[in-house]
Amino acid sequence: MTTTDTTTVETPSAPRVTEEELARRARRSELTSRWFWRILSYIAVLAIWEFALLDIFSFLRGSPLDPKLLPGPSQVVSTFFEIWGEGTMPAAFQATLTRIAVGFGLSFLIGAMIGILMQSKWFEGFFKDAVLISLSAPGLIWVLITAIIFGNRPLGPTIAIILTTFALVTVNVSEGIKALPKDLLDMAKSYRVSVFKRNRQIVIPHLAPYLFTGLRFGFSIAWKVTVLTEVFSSSEGIGFEMRISAVLFDMSEFLTWILAFFFFALFLEKVVLEAIERRYFRWRQAVTAT
Amino acid sequence: MTVTETRPTATGGSQPPNPAQRLSALPAKIAKSPLLARVLFPVFLFAVWELSLIAVEEIWPFAVDVLPTPSEVGGFMWDEFITDTLARKNLYETFFISLRRLMSGFAIAMVLGTALGLAMGLSRATNAFCHDWTMAILAMPALAWALFNSIIFGFDDRGPILTVILAGIPFVIVNVREGVRNTPRELFDMARSFQVPQSKVIRHVLVPSLMPFMFAAARYCFSIGWKGLVIAEVFGGQDGAGWTIKFWYDAHRAHGVVGYAAFFVIFAILFERLVFEPISRRAFRWRPQLQTEVVEEAFGEHHEHYGEEETARR
Repeated sequence: MTTTDTTTVETPSAPRVTEEELARRARRSELTSRWFWRILSYIAVLAIWEFALLDIFSFLRGSPLDPKLLPGPSQVVSTFFEIWGEGTMPAAFQATLTRIAVGFGLSFLIGAMIGILMQSKWFEGFFKDAVLISLSAPGLIWVLITAIIFGNRPLGPTIAIILTTFALVTVNVSEGIKALPKDLLDMAKSYRVSVFKRNRQIVIPHLAPYLFTGLRFGFSIAWKVTVLTEVFSSSEGIGFEMRISAVLFDMSEFLTWILAFFFFALFLEKVVLEAIERRYFRWRQAVTAT
Repeated sequence: MTVTETRPTATGGSQPPNPAQRLSALPAKIAKSPLLARVLFPVFLFAVWELSLIAVEEIWPFAVDVLPTPSEVGGFMWDEFITDTLARKNLYETFFISLRRLMSGFAIAMVLGTALGLAMGLSRATNAFCHDWTMAILAMPALAWALFNSIIFGFDDRGPILTVILAGIPFVIVNVREGVRNTPRELFDMARSFQVPQSKVIRHVLVPSLMPFMFAAARYCFSIGWKGLVIAEVFGGQDGAGWTIKFWYDAHRAHGVVGYAAFFVIFAILFERLVFEPISRRAFRWRPQLQTEVVEEAFGEHHEHYGEEETARR
């Protein structure tokens, strides 16, 4: 009897359903149901936006709303192609992305350095309030202060981005350092492993996930602050275009600009950074599992 | 007597209990204390401020009029503090108006977010339906909501309040959902087998296990809501903190902008210290001291989990 049992497990055409098969079926049905609801939600939200959102906002407002002030998704898509045809979009994206790269690049370096310094109790006391203020203050205040001091110079936005995002990197780096595997380091030391090798093979692999978390957190804040600085103190970029279209009450252009950059930033954050992370941490079973 | 005599040598090790030597070691001890470093930070900040003013005066003498000096900012803040202001409303009225808006938005976001989060935690279909849109709202900058709402609603309370709701609600939803997923199943099973009434189960099992997550939700929602609110008031307000900092910006008074920014920071920190910390101490006082640390750790882990799986905050 036992031998026939094992053959039924191996042949897929057997009438008896194995446990694995059942589990797979359940997983598949759950997946289809999840995708069903997901796609339904996209259809529902787009339909509400296209047909009912105007009435909802008119109701909230207490007076009828001009349809021009709330264009539907079809209008936004057609405006997107219009603007794309004009050819101004790549330049605006480039301006904003350059600003993010410079500002957040510097912020990441400064934040990581402060995080490393904060290993010592003295520097922890020194930088504690700076980190607290940076985390709790609205980005708007740095944007306004740098705008009033530096005007349209590129230094202003850079400083504003650094002041809003460095603390996120700092917090992550210092968490990572606190959680360094002391026993591994001690063992390496007692076996006289060189400093370089110790750093390369223990410290850096251990810190990398924390740095990555800091990078992704920081990026998600950095692009928002960058757009905000462009609203106040710039004459190019996404924020500037948003400001212009909002001043002109051209809502379909406004929504096009913000949504285009929103999807782009989300793509960078969720697809690009996550793909890099997955590739980099392939060796870590725990991270990929969760 | 012998005990008190032996104690100093026992604790001090080889060091003799010489008061003069202890006194001479004191400066080194003070110099090494983190508290001094904490006090030194503002001093360092002012030094950098003054030095950069001097440097700017050397390089571009004409630009120095625009730059705020520490004494100007201090004077401005004192005038605001004693309600002697050039703006339409004084400091207290301004922050009261903003606080009222923040609180209404915060309350609505907490109620709606908790309901949605519970639904998403309990039902897979609801979770699949709402997940992507929650993440989309989470990732949208408050600036977009602020400009949009200011165009739709014009200059009244509804625009800023809606901005607070939209900025804060995803954090409530995500936290409550995580809380529901983390409820202890075995406690529910036990309650069922001992036939504990439903109301008692909710009161004694569900609510306490949700509490840390609700608290994290409230904290995030409040701080993100505040950040969104000031941007909304800049574009679509006639009063309030955001409007007033924009007033000084438009008047090109750099010391006003810096002074008001300092008020913002003080407001946020005071709220954290005076409201959230006492509430958390009260809400978690039933937990033994050792476990409160675990809760803090769980927050941290949760926070990180956010970064790992979901989109980031703000």
